[in-house]
Amino acid sequence: MEWATLIGRVAAGDREAYQRLFEHFAPRVKGLMLKTGASSDDAEEIAQETLLAVWRKAAQFDPVSAGAAAWIYTIARNLRIDAVRRVARAGTVDHDAELDYLVDPAEPADDVMARNDEAVRVERALSSLSEEQSMAIRLSFIEERPHGEIAGALGIPLGTVKSRIRLAMNRLRALLDETK
Amino acid sequence: MSVTHHPPEELLAGFAAGTLDAGEHLAMAVHVSGCPACRRLVRAVEGIGGSALEAIDLAPMRAGAFEAVMAKLDRSPSHAPAPANSADDDALPSVLGHYRIGRRRWVAPGVSMRPIELPGASSSRAFLLRSDPGTHMLEHTHTGTELTCVLRGSFSHEGGRFGPGDFDFGDDTLDHQPTVGDGEPCLCLVAMTGDLRINGFFGRLIGPFVRL
Repeated sequence: MEWATLIGRVAAGDREAYQRLFEHFAPRVKGLMLKTGASSDDAEEIAQETLLAVWRKAAQFDPVSAGAAAWIYTIARNLRIDAVRRVARAGTVDHDAELDYLVDPAEPADDVMARNDEAVRVERALSSLSEEQSMAIRLSFIEERPHGEIAGALGIPLGTVKSRIRLAMNRLRALLDETK
Repeated sequence: MSVTHHPPEELLAGFAAGTLDAGEHLAMAVHVSGCPACRRLVRAVEGIGGSALEAIDLAPMRAGAFEAVMAKLDRSPSHAPAPANSADDDALPSVLGHYRIGRRRWVAPGVSMRPIELPGASSSRAFLLRSDPGTHMLEHTHTGTELTCVLRGSFSHEGGRFGPGDFDFGDDTLDHQPTVGDGEPCLCLVAMTGDLRINGFFGRLIGPFVRL
């Protein structure tokens, strides 16, 4: 069964579906958090909070505009931003990073067709991106790995890592602009 | 609103990954909320984030983690969005409605600013800058980076003309003399990064009017 379908079931209060999502995604979120430098305690907490938010927000999940894993990724990312800010501000945080990623309500009609078109464009661009370029973006931005590691993973000289990353992002931009 | 100047892709990817400094983050949030092309780029990087979750080495959860979360499910508060700033004469993008914005003060003839309170410790600061039509800024260079989102009006420098929705990225290689367009005041969101110890208190005071 697809994860998106399970999230739909969770929205209806299905705890069995929720357990499956938890078992699949919680260790992954925790793994990513560890990879990006979180302590074991913080990684565990963000993973738990992320899955808690999956339960709370399941009804807001829109399978038309995002994949399940990408959606869960954004939840974890937002919670991590909040956690970092909370530490920096010694406990007081009155801001929710989630709000920074919302589309302006003044934007033109955001109907299902439009959202689907957007999702298809993004999907197409991602599938046209080479494996190496996708990995460059993942290692550099998502996993925040040092350039030395990226050079090793991609089998390229250290001095070329920066330009490879830039090239990958430019290519992604170009693919998104040309697919309609 | 047609956008012709976009942020560097690296900043958009950093925004999608949630790793930017609070000032840069805010500038990206403002631009992205009004730019469909950059929003797609952010979505795409978020999609790569989703793939990363699928590809990552699993880190087993601690014993009892699932039960601990289950115990919280029923008493989860529902998510209430923060109230937006109201009664603002500047008609700001809704993203800014979630930030605390200070009072306007004049920094130079025809130029005023409102500081924006950033969440978390930040090496940058952000403010709204409002300049009268036709204002000439002083020629200058600066350390660090400067991110500018045009919200209303326009300005020009040798990099081109910047209107509503446009994004201007400045770093220490710049030597600009921007001029605000005629007709209406120019309202920008500006986020400056850089070492405040180097800029110093005086630099912070004059920063807003040495460049847009």
